[in-house]
Amino acid sequence: MNFDFDLIVRSFPLLLVGAGVTVQITAFSVSLGLLIGMFVGIARLSNTWIIKALAAVYVDFIRGTPLLVQIFLIYFALPIIVGQRIDPFIAAITACSINSGAYVAEIFRGGIQSIDKGQMEAGRSLGMTWGQTMRHIILPQAFKRIIPPLGNEFIAMMKDSSLVSVIGFEELTRRGQLIIARTYGSFEIWLSVAFIYLIMTFTISRLVDYLERRYKIDDRH
Amino acid sequence: MIDIKNVHKHFGKLHVLKGINAHIAEKEVVVIIGPSGSGKSTLLRCINYLEEPTEGEIVVDGIPLTNQANINKVREEVGMVFQRFNLFPHKSVLENIILAPMTVRKTPKSEAIKIAQDLLVKVGLADKEHAYPEQLSGGQQQRVAIARALAMKPKIMLFDEPTSALDPEMVKEVLDVMKSLAHEGMTMVIVTHEMGFAREVGDRVLFMDEGRLVEEGSPEEIFTHAKEERTKSFLSKIL
Repeated sequence: MNFDFDLIVRSFPLLLVGAGVTVQITAFSVSLGLLIGMFVGIARLSNTWIIKALAAVYVDFIRGTPLLVQIFLIYFALPIIVGQRIDPFIAAITACSINSGAYVAEIFRGGIQSIDKGQMEAGRSLGMTWGQTMRHIILPQAFKRIIPPLGNEFIAMMKDSSLVSVIGFEELTRRGQLIIARTYGSFEIWLSVAFIYLIMTFTISRLVDYLERRYKIDDRH
Repeated sequence: MIDIKNVHKHFGKLHVLKGINAHIAEKEVVVIIGPSGSGKSTLLRCINYLEEPTEGEIVVDGIPLTNQANINKVREEVGMVFQRFNLFPHKSVLENIILAPMTVRKTPKSEAIKIAQDLLVKVGLADKEHAYPEQLSGGQQQRVAIARALAMKPKIMLFDEPTSALDPEMVKEVLDVMKSLAHEGMTMVIVTHEMGFAREVGDRVLFMDEGRLVEEGSPEEIFTHAKEERTKSFLSKIL
């Protein structure tokens, strides 16, 4: 077998552009997913049954169907209903954030439930509303505890974002496919793609470790 | 000040409070005693609606505990001290105390800090304002918890076994703070096993057993001339 190192060098700038796009999708999806997940996670603990039920349906639906199918639903099926083509970037981010939101919701729910219930009682007994207590007392404590699982979710999202290549969105995986179509350098290019993903996920996991350590020192518990 | 009318509480099949009637007057210090499982903590927690009575009515300072707005109103006027302190571990002592006045009463920060510092002097912890709860002993934490409740300038203070989680040598420092509060004329309802304290500070003692208010009277009456057999037998075991 001929290993064409030069092909890797020549393709690298293009792959890096794709990697930049992957980082973008991931960053957007994780941020939106965090927001969705926080509200849905709290909603799952609501005393109002309808809010609780809606949140549960959302989480169950998303976790019970493949992300790939969700992407197809949003990119191919949704336009039929709204009667308008959806931009691949918007479709990619929408699908990924809705997907991520469901997993993040479960992380938040677990984090909130792990906080001693005396904390809520103390807040309420001081006259604070449920929302005020959640915001000032429960969530800040829960957030510290869920940094590790959130980090995992972040990494998973980065890898799963490769699925949006199926709608022709040119992130890292799609770039790789396109280069291979031109050069037939399957081995070299997939190796490079894998390597770039590895570097990116490794960086995130180091970042999460750092945050975790920082908050541990700060954790007055 | 507090009117408790025919209050029942069920936890599932468990009937914890079986028709409690009581009245607590302004500036009165009422101590609730009784064996564990007698429902005394539950009754206390019903007063600020941390537990919702299954049946019956509670009126605090003229406000019936009927809807959420009223409940929040009452909680602003009723401070509570818990057995396990329940300080906010991610906030400093000062932040623990100023949070509720700032978020609920919209007290400006500088003023809230001033109130907090005065309260810390009062509970003997002026030098601890920047400490975090985990850096304090149990007794110190409980005194901070008392200061936190007082920062809302409540009209009534509820104490749920405030010294039960403390090492013996720290009990006195907490009781001393409570004593000085009582002398200042605070209306207080205290669930405790500290009989010496009940005797010294209480205006009235309620004895509960199996979800019922068995007997009530002055400390003198309860501790030396109890009428009910169950009261006598309980006291004989602990005194």
